[in-house]
Amino acid sequence: MNFKNLKTMFAENSSLFAFILILIVSIFLQGTTFFNIQNISNVLLNNATIGIIALGMTLIIISGGIDLAVGAQLASTGIIAIAVANNTGSVILGILAAIAAGMAMGLLSGTIISKFGIPAFIATLGLMQIYRSIAQHQLNGGGILVDRELVGGFLYISNTRILEFGNFPGIPLPVIYWLVLAVVVHIVANKTSFGRHIYAIGSNEKAANLSGINIHRVKLGVYMLSGALVAVASIIEASRLGAMNSAVSGTMAELDAIAAVVIGGTAMSGGKGKISGTVFGMLTLAVINNMMNLMGMPPFFVAAIRGGIIILAVMLQRSVSAKEKQY
Amino acid sequence: MSHAVEMKDIYKSFGTNNVLKGVDFTLEKGSIHALLGENGAGKSTLMNILGGLLEVDKGTISVTGTLVSDQKSVIDEKIGFVHQELSLVNDLNIFENLFLGNEKKKGIFLDKKAMSAEAQATLDRMGVDIDPYTMVSELSPSYKQIVEIARAMMKNAEVIIMDEPTTSLTDVEIEKIFEVMGTLKKQGISLIFISHKLNEVIEICDSYTILRDGNLVAKGAVTIETTEKELSTHMVGAEVQTSGIYQERQIGDLVLELKGMSRPREYQDVNMNVRKGEIVGVTGLMGDGRTELFASVAGANHPYEGSILVNGKEVTMKRTSAAKFSKLGYVPKNRKENAIIKDLSVEENLVLPIMKNISRVGLIETKQKKELVASYVEKLNIKVSDTTNMITSLSGGNQQKVVLSKVLSTNPEIIILDNPTQGVDIGAKMEIYRLIVELAKQGLSFIILSSEIPELQRVCDRAYVMFHGQIKQEFARDELTEENIMLVATGGTFESA
Repeated sequence: MNFKNLKTMFAENSSLFAFILILIVSIFLQGTTFFNIQNISNVLLNNATIGIIALGMTLIIISGGIDLAVGAQLASTGIIAIAVANNTGSVILGILAAIAAGMAMGLLSGTIISKFGIPAFIATLGLMQIYRSIAQHQLNGGGILVDRELVGGFLYISNTRILEFGNFPGIPLPVIYWLVLAVVVHIVANKTSFGRHIYAIGSNEKAANLSGINIHRVKLGVYMLSGALVAVASIIEASRLGAMNSAVSGTMAELDAIAAVVIGGTAMSGGKGKISGTVFGMLTLAVINNMMNLMGMPPFFVAAIRGGIIILAVMLQRSVSAKEKQY
Repeated sequence: MSHAVEMKDIYKSFGTNNVLKGVDFTLEKGSIHALLGENGAGKSTLMNILGGLLEVDKGTISVTGTLVSDQKSVIDEKIGFVHQELSLVNDLNIFENLFLGNEKKKGIFLDKKAMSAEAQATLDRMGVDIDPYTMVSELSPSYKQIVEIARAMMKNAEVIIMDEPTTSLTDVEIEKIFEVMGTLKKQGISLIFISHKLNEVIEICDSYTILRDGNLVAKGAVTIETTEKELSTHMVGAEVQTSGIYQERQIGDLVLELKGMSRPREYQDVNMNVRKGEIVGVTGLMGDGRTELFASVAGANHPYEGSILVNGKEVTMKRTSAAKFSKLGYVPKNRKENAIIKDLSVEENLVLPIMKNISRVGLIETKQKKELVASYVEKLNIKVSDTTNMITSLSGGNQQKVVLSKVLSTNPEIIILDNPTQGVDIGAKMEIYRLIVELAKQGLSFIILSSEIPELQRVCDRAYVMFHGQIKQEFARDELTEENIMLVATGGTFESA
């Protein structure tokens, strides 16, 4: 393999290399405090919900859009899941209601953006406030608890580990959900006509339309799929905590998800990006957070470091891909 | 009469491409002079030299009797250039546009009073009654053109070059422009009028110069005896050879009919038909509406009035997927903007519209995709080393073949090609022509939108000529000469012998 190939390989998988770099730094700085099964398992568990939201966000950004409403959607669908489960006594109905609500919210975003031509940033900025406000209004700004009778069934969804044996603490179920969904979304993005049409639209919407692709339908599909993924994330969140809060749950989730997508190498202008990149982007953010916790960084300063690293990561990718273009 | 401009023995080349080969050009003071020629004849280059945008290789230029040594400075003062593409800022008003980059100030503040007064004076001089405080966005196209002319007038230009000022204007608007031109002429200003519309030239110009392939081929005064035919023959020159690509074919039943197609400001009351196995050309000059018309037929320019009948059945072309469903394929013009997905590979670009058809349980079948792509690579002789490479790695001709394959993959019965050989080298061009004729032999019908008349002569059975959004005339294959087409495309009337 010559130098050029190596460079191409680096450019195409920069998010993986960035993650490995961060990992090495973490191990170097924190040693076994960081690199033990319990800690790693916690890091993965803590980031599974945002990780799942970021999967849908990746497709949205590839299609040339953005979704600022996912955090408010997370709170709303989580509240719906708990409310329906409490009222019907059925956890399954709660889950189905949340997913249906998530898809309906996606349908609404998609319709406003595609049918009425409102820029995605503005449409979802408005929806974010609408969802959040309705949720807070309904709960008077407070939260909702999973009923005592349901607690066992509902909490089982997230607070279970599989493959426990000996000293191995097992893998928390949310991590499994995240990885399985990542594989599914990866297949959707790369192997289905729907997925390829998302790339085509993000790269050149005009040409995609003139090729006979029904742009409107694809966009609706993207936002609905994202809505469903957000609903899944909200169920995990509700199950982990046994409650959902109308004011606090999901705040800043949209920005964390976008950060993961961007660190993962997806172009904000659309047309280019990978699901695997987003997974590594999320992991990179997760490891940075964890490392700073372990190092005892002053808690209010953590965000500043994170912000700096997001910018740095994207700058590094830009410099590599800019050089690539010269060939 | 004295000369306003005298250009002698002008040479200009770009690399090995000799664009001007010793051209003389004379403009009398206080006259309107037409500069004519086909695309690529060298009109723009000559005017860009006069306008100071390009340096001459050889030759002399005199403006109002003085030899120009430092091209830039003299020209800046005396020559105004009104470009075809307007350069006004829509969100500013008229006088702000006129003084853009050259604002009058009182201290640190703009002196709006002085600027609007001066703008008003200029507009009055041109005989135009309009308030300089009017926003440019509220102006009709003709008044935008007039503001552009006013900008040239502001610097007291003695010569104004107008590059196809009337292409996007309606007849009433054109009259307004002509009125202004007449007023300026009376004040001793000289105008150069570049246009493809020969009827306008005869209406308003005093004299003309015709260029072809960088040479001066004719010049003279416009008199009562000057005809459009005479001018267009000079523009085209000797007839171009069309080598044996065209073949006689079996022509079948009607497959496509357009009835009363209209869309405001784009095309009006168009009736047209295409038969099975037929190759029909549609041509005209810029602003003829053919691109907009067939974008509507392909479902990309909705809403429209009128009806589209495919195989005798009326269809509504609300979106492009409707066209695909009706077995209507569309290759838009401007490949880079409208047809290529630059972030996808050659093969993904090719199968883009039919991905669903080659999927099983929702997943695209790689083997089927590869086989399909390989068959088109062979059939259309696409030069590509690996079809998983990005589409942008191919040459223009090969990209266009991929775009054609993409449309063919949907198994259309009718194919609309808009400017199909744009940015394609001559070899690939001929291959594309042969393919079109071959497919027509197999029963496909083609509509070819093109401004290249030789292209139509090579493949078409007949052609429609459009002018200002309307079909002016239909020509049979043996009447398809450049002279005939140019005559009709410029607004003239052709009488069959």
